Amino acid sequence: MGSRIYLLLTLGLYTVGVLHVLVQALARKRFLASATVGATLMGFALQTAYLSQRWNEAGHFPAVGLHDGASFLAWAIVLVYLLTYVSTKVDALGLLVHPVAFGLVLAAALAPVSEREDPILKSLFLPIHTTLAFFGYAALFVAFGMGLLYLIQERELKSRAPRRFYYLAPSLERCDTISGRIVAVGFGFLTLAIVTGLLWSHSARGRYWSWSAKEWSALTAWVIYVVLLLARRRSGWGGRQAALLGVAGFAVVLFTFLWMNVLQPPGAVAP
Amino acid sequence: MLFVFGISHKTAPLAEREALAFPRDTLGETLLRLRSEAGLQEAMILSTCNRVEIYGRAEQDTAPDAVVAFVCAFHRRAASDLAPLTYCLTEAEAIRHAFRVAASLDSMVVGEPQILGQVKEGYRAAEEAGTLGSALNALRNRTLAAAKRARSETGLGSGAVSVSHVAVELARKIFGELRDKNVLLVGAGKMSQLAARRLVDGGARATVVVGRTLERAAELAAALGGRAAPLDTLREELAVADIVISGTGAAGTVIKLPDVEAARGARRGRPLFLIDIAVPRDVEPQVAKLPGVFLYDLDDLHAVSEANLRERRKEAIAAEALVEREAREFLDWQKSRDAVPLLVELRRRGDEIRRQEIEKVKGRLGPLTKEQEDALESATAAIVNKLLHAPTVALKEAARNGHEPEQVGLIRRLLGL
Repeated sequence: MGSRIYLLLTLGLYTVGVLHVLVQALARKRFLASATVGATLMGFALQTAYLSQRWNEAGHFPAVGLHDGASFLAWAIVLVYLLTYVSTKVDALGLLVHPVAFGLVLAAALAPVSEREDPILKSLFLPIHTTLAFFGYAALFVAFGMGLLYLIQERELKSRAPRRFYYLAPSLERCDTISGRIVAVGFGFLTLAIVTGLLWSHSARGRYWSWSAKEWSALTAWVIYVVLLLARRRSGWGGRQAALLGVAGFAVVLFTFLWMNVLQPPGAVAP
Repeated sequence: MLFVFGISHKTAPLAEREALAFPRDTLGETLLRLRSEAGLQEAMILSTCNRVEIYGRAEQDTAPDAVVAFVCAFHRRAASDLAPLTYCLTEAEAIRHAFRVAASLDSMVVGEPQILGQVKEGYRAAEEAGTLGSALNALRNRTLAAAKRARSETGLGSGAVSVSHVAVELARKIFGELRDKNVLLVGAGKMSQLAARRLVDGGARATVVVGRTLERAAELAAALGGRAAPLDTLREELAVADIVISGTGAAGTVIKLPDVEAARGARRGRPLFLIDIAVPRDVEPQVAKLPGVFLYDLDDLHAVSEANLRERRKEAIAAEALVEREAREFLDWQKSRDAVPLLVELRRRGDEIRRQEIEKVKGRLGPLTKEQEDALESATAAIVNKLLHAPTVALKEAARNGHEPEQVGLIRRLLGL
C-alpha cells in the first residue's frame, strides 16, 4: 500500500496536464504550459519510483494485469511524449497525451493489483518483451496522435473554415513528418516485441506460434505498419492516407494491448 | 511632468494626420527646436502613418500648451483648427497611452507588428538628437519590454490579417517550410503579384508565370526570379506546382476540374494549394472536393482574416490587462523614485547631526580607544537608522500612493529640512 502514494501523487501531477489541455483547448491560453512540463516531469519521476517499487513487491516485472499494464503504458507514453516534445516543441500533442496518461493512471489506481504467481512471470523475457512492446505501443500512440492532429487540421483547412486546431496544431507537413518518424521508431519496437514474444513462447511452451487472437492482431498491426512505412519510403506517400492508415494500425495495436491486459481471462498469461 | 500631445487615426482622418507629420530627415533638428521653444527637458516624436505624437517632459504645467503652439507654428495651422483633432494626455494617462501604443493596442489593426519598430525608431531619433533624458529613457525601456511581453505571452500578434499575409500563413500551415515549394502564378494582377512576392520572400522557389501575353508574363517572372510559360501549358505546370495563385481578369474559369484532375496523377498525393483571388473566380469550385486540394477564393481568405482578427481581439483583452499592470508598475516605480531626493536629504541631515554630536562628545571625553570609538559610531548610526526607518518607509509608500506633495511638505517641516 505504501507505494500507492507514489501513484496517487503521479495522478495529482498529471491532473495539471489535463487542466492545461482544457485551458488550451477552450481558451487557447498557454499560461499553464511551463507548469505542465514541470508537473509532468515530476509525475514521471514519481511514477518511475512507483514502478520500481511495484517490481519489488510483485517479484516480477510490473506489466501484467490492468493495474500494472495501465500504469506502465502511461509511463511509456509520457516518456515518448516528453522526448517528442523536447525534440520538436510540438505541445498540441499534449491535447491527447495528457488526458490519456491521466486516464491510464486513474485506471491503474482504481484497478486491483494482480497478485498472480506464475513461474512464467519469472522469465527474463517478461521485462524484455513487455518493455519493447509498451514502448512500441507508446510510440505508435503518439504517432497516432500526430495523425489525428493532421486529419482534424486538414479537415479544417479543406473546409476553408480554420477553427481551433488551425491555431493549435503545427503545419500539416510537420504533423506528417513527425508522425512518420515516430511510426518508424514504434514499428522497430513492435517488431522486436513480436520477435521476443515468439522466442518467449518457444521457451515457455515449446512452440513459436499459438494461433491466439493476440498474436494475430499483433501481426496484423505489424503488416499495416510495414505497408505504411514502405509506401512512405518508396513512393513519397504521406499526408492523409498515411494518417488514416496510422489510425487503423493503432486501432489494431490498441486491441492487442486491451486483449493482453484487460480482456484476457486471468490465468492465460503472456506470451 | 510627462505628457503626450498627438493626433491619431482615432481622432483625425489621414489627410489631417499627414498635414501634421514631421519630415523624417530633419527630425533631429525639429526635436531640438521643439525642446527649446516649448521649454521642455525631454522630447520624443513618434511619427507613423496612423499617428503623430510628441512625448515630452517639462517642469512647468504649461508645457503642453507650448507644444501645441510649436506644432501650430511649425505647420502654420490655427490652434482652434487642431483642437478637435488632437489630444493631450498628462502624467498617468500619458504613460498608459505610451504603453498601449507601443503594445499595438491603440493601432488601427490591433496587434500589428510595425508599431514597435516605429516607436523604437522615434526614441532612437530623440537619443541621437540628445533630447532623450532619464524619464523618457525609462519610459522607452519599460514600454518596449511590456510590448514584447504582450506579444509573446498573449496571442496579440498572431494570425495574419491582410489577404496576402493570410495566403502565406495558409501556405505555411499546409506545407510548413516554404523552401523548395513551387509557386505558379496565373495571370498578372497586382494582388497576385503581392502574394507571390510574399511567398518568394518566405523562401518559395521557381515562380512560374502563365499569362495570355507572354511578354507581360516574362516581365513579371523576371521581377520575381522565375520563368514565364504560355497558358496552354497550364496542365503541365499544375503537375509540378505546390501553390497556385490565380488572378486573371478572365470572364470564365481558367483552371477547370479536368485540369487539376489531370495533374493529380503526376502529383502523387502532394497537397495542392489553390488561391483564387480573381473576381469573377478563375478556379472551378468543384476542384475543392478533390482530395489533397485546398482551394481558397477571395471570400475565404477574408473569412480567415476575420477569424484571425476575432482571435486577436480576444487576445487583446488579455494584453490590455498585462499592459495595464506594466503601466501601473512603472507609475509606482516612478513615484517612489520621486521621493528619492527627499530621502537622500533626510539621510544626509541625520548623518550630519550624528557627526556633529560625535565630535562634541569626543571633545568632552578626550582620547578614546579603538573599541570605544567603534561602539560610539555604531550606537549613533543605529539611532539615526532606527529613527529614519519609519519615515523612509512611509515616504516611499506615500509616493507610491500619490500623496506625495502634502506629506513631503509635512515631513520637511517636521524634520526642519
